[in-house]
This record gives sequence, structure tokens and C-alpha cells, in this order.
Amino acid sequence: MTRIPIAAIHLVALLTFACTANAADGVIEGTAFYQPDSQKPWRYARYYVADAKKGHLAEAVVCLTDRQLRGLRPPMESRTVTVGQEDYRFIPETVALRIGDQVKFTNSDATLHNVMALGGNESFNVSLAQDGEFTQTFRRAGNLKQPVKIGCSFHSQMQAWIFVFDHPFYAVTAENGRYRFEGVPPGEYTLELFHPAGGMRVSRAVTVTAGQTNSIDLRTSPADIIK
Amino acid sequence: MTDTLLNRREALQTGALTAGALLALFADPRFAFPAQATEETLVPFLDMPRAKPGSLDWETLTEWLTPQDQVFSVSHYNVPDVKPDGYRLEITGLVEQPKSLTLDELKARPKSDQLMTLECSGNGSSKGFMGAVYNSRWSGTKLTPLLDECRIKPEALEVVFIGHDQKEETLRKGTPRETTFEVPFGRSISLADVKKMDLLLAWERNGEPLTQGNGAPLRLIVPGWYGIANVKWLRRIELRSTRYMGRFMARDYVTVRGERRGDAVEYVETSVSKMNLKSIVARITRQTAVDGKIPCKAYGAVWNDGTEIALVEVKVDDGPWQPAKIADDPKSQFCWRFFSIDLGALPPGKHKVVSRAIDANGRIQPASDDDEIALKKTYWEAYAQWPREVQLEG
Repeated sequence: MTRIPIAAIHLVALLTFACTANAADGVIEGTAFYQPDSQKPWRYARYYVADAKKGHLAEAVVCLTDRQLRGLRPPMESRTVTVGQEDYRFIPETVALRIGDQVKFTNSDATLHNVMALGGNESFNVSLAQDGEFTQTFRRAGNLKQPVKIGCSFHSQMQAWIFVFDHPFYAVTAENGRYRFEGVPPGEYTLELFHPAGGMRVSRAVTVTAGQTNSIDLRTSPADIIK
Repeated sequence: MTDTLLNRREALQTGALTAGALLALFADPRFAFPAQATEETLVPFLDMPRAKPGSLDWETLTEWLTPQDQVFSVSHYNVPDVKPDGYRLEITGLVEQPKSLTLDELKARPKSDQLMTLECSGNGSSKGFMGAVYNSRWSGTKLTPLLDECRIKPEALEVVFIGHDQKEETLRKGTPRETTFEVPFGRSISLADVKKMDLLLAWERNGEPLTQGNGAPLRLIVPGWYGIANVKWLRRIELRSTRYMGRFMARDYVTVRGERRGDAVEYVETSVSKMNLKSIVARITRQTAVDGKIPCKAYGAVWNDGTEIALVEVKVDDGPWQPAKIADDPKSQFCWRFFSIDLGALPPGKHKVVSRAIDANGRIQPASDDDEIALKKTYWEAYAQWPREVQLEG
């Protein structure tokens, strides 16, 4: 039943496509996993871990973090991701963008909803009737640490997170937990994962060498939850 | 596995799960209802929003006493930060002996517990607001002996409960009689009703001090009445000789319902007070298909204003109403009871499962097309049967 965030798949695909393969660059790829702890159950794991045995973690934000990445390879053109309000949910719940990208919020429910930025670098509050639309351009990068938290002022059940990056190496994992960054300039980076709904945060140091692929799986557990 | 299944009495007494029981229940990312077998897996409801903290997650409901992270909090005014030091509860108005008590003075009084399921009267009004209900052991001191000590004057007929939260209100906006004033949150109960009930001044929930969101340091607990009556951040109790008609008595939390009189429908406005009879299917589980059909079970909860519950029935698609098994333990007058039912082996495809409750007086939880709900024009008191939809894969 866990819905694959379609936008996430498109993002990962576009990212892979947009980054020009370059012999002087490297690749980082891997899978995000969630390992349960019977003493600290994650009540909402069922939305993000489709197969308990495999443990692939969906809707985790994976990115590289490094000061030198800022301003790297400016985007060719901005992209628009659609976030729908459907069955009193924001779908997809977690979105990752580049500075200058846009989110088009839509409402397919037969009720008045509202799109409200609850924190981070943005401030907006727009009500949407059924079939209404509202597009927001995201001009400030909070990267992994400062997502824009979205809510609906009428329905506290609704939530979404929008992560805005100032470089191209970010992904939201799909149901298979996979991420892949191509065209990474050689150097030392921190590879980070944060799951906004679960609160797990892990990071690994990674060295990228020209023409090489780093396969790094990111394993999270309740011990990695940052309150 | 059976010897580590949760003992409900233990859970009730401690308010917590033992490590061994936790292991049994949470070894798998999917949660298990105490009576659920390990081979049962959750069948998620179709078209429902995801659960999140601050709201009851029906699909993982196992705890009879609701953990704090599942507890909702609604405030119409602000959420005050009332520090315990310097806090005072005033009892004033038509009493011979007004009082002003510190929290320590209240805690020095005889301690009493009240087990109660508290539901927001708007709960169930949309699928985006269905988790505003939770069960608690509230601890505090009884209100009645305190009021007796204040010696209520004979002309008093109304007990008003005032909170620390407040806001500017405007009446008759846009008219020549528009008026604006600052007002604290207030709700009232008639003195006659207060005398019939056993109200509690609570400073603890499930053994912990109240959180700021749930009304710290002191909250009124009104067994069997909707959340709105359970005034948070309690500041003052006033005895009055006229009815109190604040916003949350007279304008909001007023149910407008059509009642048939002969051929006509007349609309009546009543105050939201006692919790209505309500049940809900919390989750549906399945096991591996046998001969192409899927064995399923349904689990749920039923609650009301404290009237004895007689029966919970569950219906699948257009089938007959079948009786569910209501748990006898744990059980407390003003608390929800959990129920379960074997739905039998269902064919693959989409199915609708719904529960309804019947109390000892014969009152039946209505469907959304029954007059009681269909002729209701306001969203408060949303206690209709709530059909659940699932998709069973072979």
C-alpha cells in the first residue's frame, strides 16, 4: 500500500540524466535500510518500509554535504514538482529540489485545504479549493538541515517536507531505498541521510575518486533518531 | 510466542508494556494487537491519510491507555505556559467561602483517579481529523468536596470554568452592533449536572504531570463529556446565578440538528456536552489465502458517555450484521472497550467493513444517512458509523 512517491522517482531519474558522465568524476550509490529495534518500535514504519525482511527505507533524503558544492554546476533550467492534496494527504510527502525549482500544489479533495509553510526559509499560506492550484518557487536553500515543513491549517493530519539544495547531489529514496549520484567531482564529502517522518539521521565520510563508483549502503535504526 | 503476549491487567496497572511483551509485539515493524496472531498482517485502509504523532494511529492501536505521543491537543485560543510555582486556582462567585489554592494545596487534598476516554467533538468530521481521541488515567482531586467546603449559595445554578487561555472576540461583525472584547476561554456546566457527576481537578495523566498542550498544571475532567468540557489551564471556577453563554457554549460547539415533526423538519440548536455512542473499526488483518479466499479479522473500539454498552456489530459489504467480541478486561465505565471479530474468509477485491454500537438502552449508533446524522448541519458530534474500505490481494 505504501505509495511510491512518483516525484521522487522522476527526481532520481532526472538527476542521473542531467549529470553529464565525466571520466574525471565519480559515482556514489547505494541503498538506505531501516533496521527495527523491538525495544523502540517505529509506529509509522509501515509507510516507509514495504518489506520488513528486506528493510529498504523509502522517502529518505540522501545527499552530499560539503561547502565546496555550493554553486556547483548551476541548474540548466528550473523544474516543477507537483504535490497534490489527496485524501487529506500531501502526496508526495517528501520532496527534494534545487534552488530555483518550483512546487505546484494542487487539491483534488472535495474540501478546502490550505498550504502553509511552517518553518524553514519560506513563509506562505494559501488556501486551495478543489481543483485549485498554487505554485511556489523556492529560492533559498536550507539543504538537509532546514527543510520547509508544510501543513494544512484546517487539517492537522496533513504534513509534507520540502528540502531545497544548493547543489545537484540529493535524492529522495523510492520504495527500493536506492539513491545514486553521478558526476561527483573527486574529493572528500559527507554523505548524509535524514528521514523527516522517522527522524533518523546518519552520515558517512566518503572519498570520491575519478572514474570510480562508491557503493555505500546507509543503515538506520531507532538509535539514529535525532529529536 | 503466546507466553509473552501482553497481559492487559498488567498493562492497565503499570500503564506501560513490559520489555518481554514489547519484544513479542514489536519484533516486526508492524504492530500487533494483543490478541493478534503473529501470522496476521495489516490490511491498510484505502484512501486514508497517513497517521502521525499527535493523533491516534488506529491501525497500530494496542494500548488501552494511550501513550502521550498519540495524544491530540486542540486549542481555540493560545496555548499558555502556566508555571506550577505561582499557580492558583480561584473558586469564587456565589459561595460563602471563596478559595484560592496553590498547586501544592490542591495536591495535599485527597487524591483520586478518573479513567476516561476523551474525544474531541469534531473527531470524525472528516478523514483528516479522526485521531482526536485517547484514553487516560487522570489523577487529581475531586471537585465536589472542594465546592462543598466553599458552601455554594442557594441562588447559584451555574458552574463556570475559566482557563488561562484568552483572545479578543468580536460579536456581530460588520453590523452597527459590532463589539470587541478580550475574553478568557470558558465553559460551564449547570450546578445540577455538576452535583450528579464526579468531576476531577487533574494534574496528572497516566502518572505524569500534564503536558502544556493538555492543560498544565491543572485540567478539569468531566467523565463522559466531550473534550471541550474538559477545560485546560484551569484558572477559576465561578458559581453564577445566570447561564454562562460564552462562545464555546452558545456559538461554537452548538449542534444544529433537524428533527422531524409530522411532515416538517424543525431545526434545534443544542450544546455539545455528553459523548455520543460511537464505535470504529481500527484495523483489519489478514492471513495467507486458503482456497483463493483470505481469512480476515477486524479490531476496533467503542465508547460513549458511560452508558452500558450492549453490543457491537460488524458488517462486511452487504452482508448481515455480525456480533463482535467486546473485551471485558480492561473495562471502566467512561473508557473505550476494544472489540474484535473474525470476518471469515473473504474473496480478493475491494471490501467495505463497518461497525455499529448498541447501548443498554437500545440506542443504535446511526449511519451517515440516518436522520440523526443526515439532518445535522454542523460538524460537531460526528459519531456516525464509519465504513472502512480495504483491497484484498489474493
